[in-house]
Amino acid sequence: MAVVQDVHGHHDHHPSGIMRWVTTTNHKDIGTMYLWFSFAMFLVGGFLAMGIRAELFMPGIQILEPELFNSFTTLHGLIMVFGAIMPAFVGLANWQVPLMIGAPDMAFARMNNWSFWLLPVAGMLLVSSFFVPGGAAAGGWTFYPPLSAQGGMGVDMMIFAVHILGASSIMGAINIITTILNMRAPGMTLMKMPMFVWTWLITAYLLVLVMPVLAGTVTMLLTDRHFGTSFFNAAGGGDPVLFQHIFWFFGHPEVYIMILPAFGIVSEIIPTFSRKPLFGYSSMVYATASIAILSCIVWAHHMFTVGMPTVGQLFFMYATMLIAVPTGVKVFNWTATMWRGSMTFETPMLFAIGFIFLFVIGGFSGVICAIVPIDIQVQDTYYVIAHFHYVLVSGALFAIFGAVYYWLPKWCGRMYDVKLANMHFWLSMIFFNVAFFVQHFLGLAGMPRRIPDYSLQFADFNMISSIGAFGFGLTQLFFLYIVIKCIRGGEKAADRPWEGGNTLEWTLPSPAPYHTFETPPVIK
Amino acid sequence: MNNTEQPAEKASAMQVAKAVFWSFLGIRKKDDLDRDAKMIKPHQVVIGGLIGGVIFVLSILTLVKVVTS
Ligand code: HEM
Ligand SMILES: [Cu+2]
Repeated sequence: MAVVQDVHGHHDHHPSGIMRWVTTTNHKDIGTMYLWFSFAMFLVGGFLAMGIRAELFMPGIQILEPELFNSFTTLHGLIMVFGAIMPAFVGLANWQVPLMIGAPDMAFARMNNWSFWLLPVAGMLLVSSFFVPGGAAAGGWTFYPPLSAQGGMGVDMMIFAVHILGASSIMGAINIITTILNMRAPGMTLMKMPMFVWTWLITAYLLVLVMPVLAGTVTMLLTDRHFGTSFFNAAGGGDPVLFQHIFWFFGHPEVYIMILPAFGIVSEIIPTFSRKPLFGYSSMVYATASIAILSCIVWAHHMFTVGMPTVGQLFFMYATMLIAVPTGVKVFNWTATMWRGSMTFETPMLFAIGFIFLFVIGGFSGVICAIVPIDIQVQDTYYVIAHFHYVLVSGALFAIFGAVYYWLPKWCGRMYDVKLANMHFWLSMIFFNVAFFVQHFLGLAGMPRRIPDYSLQFADFNMISSIGAFGFGLTQLFFLYIVIKCIRGGEKAADRPWEGGNTLEWTLPSPAPYHTFETPPVIK
Repeated sequence: MNNTEQPAEKASAMQVAKAVFWSFLGIRKKDDLDRDAKMIKPHQVVIGGLIGGVIFVLSILTLVKVVTS
């Protein structure tokens, strides 16, 4: 991509110290804050996961009382989904979308500041709910009534947190859509946009579509709890199954919200390190769009065991299996991009290839869950836990790691310690599989999810899984060390540290100056 | 590619339908795509996509009805 650009030094007058961060409207500052916030929440969620795996290390109840155990699983899910994965992607969008489309900043810079600063409030609400009377919400991250109708004040704090997080996501999404549609550099037509920008554009539309649905559900839950309505209360003429339908109408698109930006990241990394353009760029755009549309009509595959007419079961089964087609096309495209490329295996590439490998496993176990007669057996077992950790940890999270290793040199102007980074990859890869592969077997053997204790025949696999999980957890502290070491010092990174990187951000100096593309580059 | 070429002609309904159909599969030939990108307006794709979605749902429903009858 030929680019004419103009980057000049600037005298900035912005507050320093803490006020810089409180008042900032700079997309790079806000992106950085998003990423640090998400990492902090990742550690909190990880701490809860370690608690869960410690309790499940052996049969019997050792360290967590059942009620507290349930709070741990509930808050682990909520914090990882809404606190770690989603903000990490928004942080990446904040940093990268303007840089990749040649825009000076996000379209609504002040709203951007607000959407970030809502997050710590929600995070604090979730964490502090552990310490209120009755403890944190314990009805699962899906907070089905009647359990969520019963809990104490912790449930209300969770509802409030979800409201705030939803508002933040909607504002973030509006910002991203407007930026992409209105602020592209001259010559950057839609079909020239980098794949990461495309996937985020489509994700942002999904967010605007389904976050209000989530807000609506939790509001109905709130009025059921406190204002005498009976939306989900059978005793008052309501229906708890209604909740599940509304929740999953949000929930399934939500899982795609967490994977589409990951697809975008992988679609940037693979071509760079294969030194070839992305195979089938246009099909990728099309496939992403159709995945987004189809993801809205498959929600009841989470509800096969609730009881549903055969016609409904078959409908959702067929629809779910069909959605795997465009997903498969993507995997095919990535593989074809690597085919006969001159590949090198820098850390981002390792994570991208690890992603493809393990995401395919997760995709297949998803299709298996979609088959009604099988799902009736595995629903609410560890098989489902294994499925969604393969798509969320080795899918979304690995892509985020890959993205950080890909763009960190651009962000802080220094190269990280490649040996350590590669070690981070291999340790994550090994421990992840030790922790989660065996959960397939546990699930098939019938071990239910969300229980603090289990029968003896599950003991061995659980111990293996816990060991893997502890290893995975420790490895992520290692990641923190690598990033801090890189920020503190290290070899200076070139402006274009990856010779195959062809998108606009690599035309900028490293580290990227505080203000970039104030005069838009011209894309020929 | 430059954008100052001939004043883009409008896409026919058939062309939009084809683009939408292929997008559901996730595949599109490069030439066809370039033509699509030039001729089809965004709102046409959105409307086409929604109609395509409805047709998709109805055809699965029909299939299910046939299978269960
Ligand atoms: C090939 C595509 C996929 C298919 C066919 C699929 C199918 C399914 C099915 C049928 C279930 C319900 C299992 C049950 O509860 O019995 C499920 C659960 C789940 N899936 Fe997927 N899935 C796919 C991809 C993904 C992706 C990409 C993500 C996230 C990035 C994801 C995240 C989840 C989560 C979080 C759950 C469990 C929700 C819960 O009950 O807590 N799935 N999937
Ligand atoms: Cu789903």
